Amino acid sequence: MKKRFVPILAALCVMAFSSSAFAHFMVFYTPEMIMEKGQDLDMRIAFTHPAEAGHMMDMGGIEEFYVLKAKGEKIVKTDLKNTLKEITWKNPHSSAPAFAAEVPKKVIRSMGDYVFVMKPGYYFEKEEDVYMQQITKLILNVGEMPTIWNEPVGLPCEIVPLIKPYGLWTGNVFKAQVLSDGKPVAGAEVEVEYMSHMPNLKTNTMPAKSSVDYPNGALVTQTIFTDANGYISFGIPKSGWWGFAALGVGPDTEYKGKELGQDAVIWVKAEDMK
Amino acid sequence: MKKMMIVLTLAALLAFTGQAFAHSPLMSCFDNGDNTVTCEGGFSDGSSAAGVKLHIKDGKDKPVLETRMNEDSEVTFDKPAGSYVVIFDAGEGHTVEVNGADIVE
Repeated sequence: MKKRFVPILAALCVMAFSSSAFAHFMVFYTPEMIMEKGQDLDMRIAFTHPAEAGHMMDMGGIEEFYVLKAKGEKIVKTDLKNTLKEITWKNPHSSAPAFAAEVPKKVIRSMGDYVFVMKPGYYFEKEEDVYMQQITKLILNVGEMPTIWNEPVGLPCEIVPLIKPYGLWTGNVFKAQVLSDGKPVAGAEVEVEYMSHMPNLKTNTMPAKSSVDYPNGALVTQTIFTDANGYISFGIPKSGWWGFAALGVGPDTEYKGKELGQDAVIWVKAEDMK
Repeated sequence: MKKMMIVLTLAALLAFTGQAFAHSPLMSCFDNGDNTVTCEGGFSDGSSAAGVKLHIKDGKDKPVLETRMNEDSEVTFDKPAGSYVVIFDAGEGHTVEVNGADIVE
């Protein structure tokens, strides 16, 4: 009895590790989140597992790519789809179509927050027979003037920060609210990953060497849940880029006759206090 | 009672001063490339700079233009010939000066 039990337990452990190691994350990256002055931006969009420089996935193109900026009381939307260029992103053991975007300085000239929104196409996850779509926000700032970083921007689903996502110290608590169709989502599962392999924009790769020595899969992808009002809190243990993905919170649940998981992703950056 | 009023007034003043010092004035200017310059103002706490005074002086410290930030916290003006300086004036201790030579496209 005991002997039989061991293989089952071992199999369960392996399964648990595999599933947690398979946290899909839309990486939406540019080297700096805060700029003293407006400048040309070099951005990358790749669908992968950033904590492990893992398996690359084809995001199915990009449906929407734009930036929102406050001008007085108004919000100005600038479409950026024409800045996109298809590239191949290579991780140590996998590669897939991804995107580069060169956003000109004239778009990010003024002081204030820039809320970049990227809505990809649909990724088909064969093993689970489901489609995935991760709607991703990246909030940058120019000139240290805060404007709309804490405002919902009307996405089908989104993570709205309650602390500046570009202005975190290591050890701060990142707090945010998960919304679906503008309403808080209680009890939503939110995966958290650290960008342990910093993207190299010259080679469009993630290096094989990790900046973190993970003792087990549970720490590669951490899981937290929203409270009754849709809030999450997460203490940031290390400087660098942290991604948060609220799973299946979007209103769309079906694509091409199959189940669809519509996720909301946001990236934040922490600095060490020296 | 009088003493109390003085204490309260002082406390109110202190509180107000504290708030006034919690934000810094910010200004950023660009050469629009068509002989005009746009300056945008703001504060580090995100508050609007609509109505804040903006002075432009020439190289001899002579006023060229005195105006106020519009509802979008910005001003566009004809680029002065020669050297000039733009001053965002939100009151004492809350000014920003940008040298015309540093204003580029």
